[in-house]
Amino acid sequence: MSKSLGIFVTNPDQFKHVMGITKAAKAKGSNVKVFFSWDATHNAKKEAGFPELCKIADDVSICVDSYKNMGYDIDDIPEGLETKKMATQAQHGIIIEDFDCYLSL
Amino acid sequence: MEYKKVCLMYRDQSCTVDGIRSALGLAVENMYAYGVVMDEPKMEKFNELQAESLEMLRDMEGDVFATTKENCELNDLEPITIEELGEKLRDMTHIIPYGIIKA
Amino acid sequence: MKILNVYRSAPDDTTKKLVEIVSRDRDADSFDLNVESPDYESLVDKIFDADQTICWW
Repeated sequence: MSKSLGIFVTNPDQFKHVMGITKAAKAKGSNVKVFFSWDATHNAKKEAGFPELCKIADDVSICVDSYKNMGYDIDDIPEGLETKKMATQAQHGIIIEDFDCYLSL
Repeated sequence: MEYKKVCLMYRDQSCTVDGIRSALGLAVENMYAYGVVMDEPKMEKFNELQAESLEMLRDMEGDVFATTKENCELNDLEPITIEELGEKLRDMTHIIPYGIIKA
Repeated sequence: MKILNVYRSAPDDTTKKLVEIVSRDRDADSFDLNVESPDYESLVDKIFDADQTICWW
């Protein structure tokens, strides 16, 4: 069985890699969780591929505090996410504790 | 149970503020969480909330270090050299070069 | 302990020093993300194979 992979994204310029790695890991049968924090929450609004990422990965969430800090309205939920995926840093904790492999981007 | 040991390293001022918050979030989850402000950037003085975050992190056996004397003195951070940081990283379960390097 | 060092950009002297210390006496591999078309399949294989992956700036 394939290992699970958690990806913590803090750099807004890495979205291409987030997509590429997620697709490759899913093709190998991995369970993939992605969490975006700080500047990288811009990806949720500015990257055309973000809704697709939400479909491909098993779980995608963003840090709602970061999103607010980047100037967005927290009620303006990015396409592909649900309210409960506007989350906290606890999601990062889940990636570290519960996933076999960890990657920061 | 073996507790996770996580070190986040920051090389940009805006990343520093959020990265310390991120370290605190992990400490709350029962991990040993450390932050390191690297040679760049020159920090701004912590506001009250940020100073409280540092205090809370230390209460949970975490800490924030800095590689320059100026940043250590400005925000009451623990000094660390790059060599010492490298040795510390060897003991970590998770190493996180956080965010971006400012151009 | 098998370490995978991934590079998002060309490592500067500070990163090189940290990589050198962290990788000392350990089985270390690397992957360069800073290319036109990274081989993500190969990267995922390396991540799954490593005990620890560090993705440098």
